[in-house]
Amino acid sequence: MAMQNAASRKPSQALAVLGICVIVIVIFSATLKGFMTVGNLLALARNISILGVLALGMAIVVIARGLDLSQVASMACATAIAILLINASWATPVALLVGLLLSVAVGALNGWLISVIEMPPLLTTLASGLAVLGITRSTAVEHFVVNLVPGHDDFLRLGGNLAGGVPVPLLVFLATVVGVHLFLSRTVLGRFIYAHGDNPEAARLGGLPTRFLTMLEYALCAGIGYIGGVVMIAQTALMHLQVVESTLIFDVIMVVVLGGVSLSGGRGNVMSVVVGTLLIGVLLNGMTIMDMDIQTQNIVKGIVLLVAIVLDSILHPRDEETSKQGD
Amino acid sequence: MNWHTKWFRQTLYGTVVLSASLIALTTPPAALAAEPREDLRAAFDKTLKGKKVAWAPVWLGVLESEWTRNMKTHFDDYGIQFTVRDANFKSDVQLQAVSELINEKPDVLIVQNPNVTLLARELKRAMDAGIYVIQVNMASNTLTDAYVGVDARDMGRRLAKNIINECGGGKGSGQVAILEGEATAAYSLDMKRGAMEVFNTDKSMKVVSSQPANWDANKAGEITATVLQQNPDLCGVLSVWGPQAAGAAQAIKAAGKAGKTKIWVASDGQPADCDLLEQGLFYRNLSYRADTQGEAIVNAVLTLLQNAEKPGAKRFAYYTTPYWVNSKADRAYCFVVPKSGTK
Repeated sequence: MAMQNAASRKPSQALAVLGICVIVIVIFSATLKGFMTVGNLLALARNISILGVLALGMAIVVIARGLDLSQVASMACATAIAILLINASWATPVALLVGLLLSVAVGALNGWLISVIEMPPLLTTLASGLAVLGITRSTAVEHFVVNLVPGHDDFLRLGGNLAGGVPVPLLVFLATVVGVHLFLSRTVLGRFIYAHGDNPEAARLGGLPTRFLTMLEYALCAGIGYIGGVVMIAQTALMHLQVVESTLIFDVIMVVVLGGVSLSGGRGNVMSVVVGTLLIGVLLNGMTIMDMDIQTQNIVKGIVLLVAIVLDSILHPRDEETSKQGD
Repeated sequence: MNWHTKWFRQTLYGTVVLSASLIALTTPPAALAAEPREDLRAAFDKTLKGKKVAWAPVWLGVLESEWTRNMKTHFDDYGIQFTVRDANFKSDVQLQAVSELINEKPDVLIVQNPNVTLLARELKRAMDAGIYVIQVNMASNTLTDAYVGVDARDMGRRLAKNIINECGGGKGSGQVAILEGEATAAYSLDMKRGAMEVFNTDKSMKVVSSQPANWDANKAGEITATVLQQNPDLCGVLSVWGPQAAGAAQAIKAAGKAGKTKIWVASDGQPADCDLLEQGLFYRNLSYRADTQGEAIVNAVLTLLQNAEKPGAKRFAYYTTPYWVNSKADRAYCFVVPKSGTK
């Protein structure tokens, strides 16, 4: 695999980002009172959990040399519909399952359009995200905000803390990390996804079902994203569809690319996503503690992303093989 | 002289009585419209019927939909043509929509500004083109024929005073966090400015954090969770908008601070805000009712059209009075969206 070749030649990007992360943590611990406390670290972990889960889904698609701009849209719309069903006194698990099926369906449709109709992923998912939001708003959700009616405390525990202050969202994130890691590294399908991203043409000629793989990848991306959405509604007891039009989707892509899941496909792993998420989480947490204004926060985030992209292009130079994607 | 006067009087009376009865007998009842009360309605209808009103909100959220619903009900009733352009929170789309509406030359243009500059120039152009311009809930740098809405800065002051009563002067820790909306939204900036004016006058108060939550409950929850870690004695959270504060409320609950850290919300009166207060998640809402505000917009339109001065000649203002929502008893200060006939 190219990933391993790159790692043998140069330090992997995940390692480099982990290094940056450690440096930032040391600086924050020394300068910010209250940063290096168990309470704050748990709050930090809670805050990055949703982003991390979304990024794990996105990583699968990016490893396969795709991009899913509709992930947040399908997540938000599917969870909003799940809330509506719960409010209409459906059993919570059933309502959540319907939401999951909806988001997976959107993902599979994306994959079908991309692999069978052969539309470019960027435009396909941009359009499908808009379509999903539009259809949801015109049929189910009249306004942008859907509130969960009171009386679902069991469900809301998913967004709360366990005894000792351990946030449940963190556990969901860790479970997803383990699940996606095992899938990508230990299963045949997982290895196929790497092969598909590394060289789609070779993968197809080698007999891999690339159309099916594409649909699977986008369906997984949407389905895992939906898990993040469920945690989100458990944390806030509402879904505000405007999140679709926020910068969340770019934060997700940033986290994925930051850790070394290259846009040229076939590279990076779950560890990359974890360190990428961690770095963004540490930065956001530190900047919130400093009560930094939003412009400065954006400057810092922008610089971090640029550094990551520079790292990416040093470690994985653009060439014939990679020039098609993400440029 | 005497007989002459008498004769004259009698003749006069006779003539008056006779002509009065003649008129009464011969005139058809329709001519009774000459009565001033009927004139009033006729003139009202004549002034308003067929007039065109265009409305360009920032988006059609809960608040804006309620305004729109009220406007449409009234305008339909008066025979006024009503067009709505939803910019869906995109400033370039809204600017385009407003420019296009000006070219369509409606009689009245109503806009909700996303910030103080975006539409300023176009609004001047509209008035120059002979269109009355009404601005809603936030005036831009160009003042126009009428302004309808809240005074965000004043709401900030009122909220801050109320928070000081609960948290300041040794009654609480004096620590407050402000949850702004979008960093550049003037509604949120004005409100923060008003609140800071008041907080700065009280030494017992400390604003420990002021971060934009981007109208996003999740983001507000994340900020609140972090701020609570740094300031476990946090007494109050001031949120400039209800739905985002819901995320902060859940974060406070998750941190086990329910009842200790209280949330003050500047509310547009949407039903969910009152629901959350009744569930004990919000402590106080300073609420304006979007439905009555919608009627105030209609009144501004009626004033301008009937006043018939040149566009740009007057600066009418219709400031909304906000009310405190403390408990279920204040439910009336949230509006109710009728089940039928919404949109």
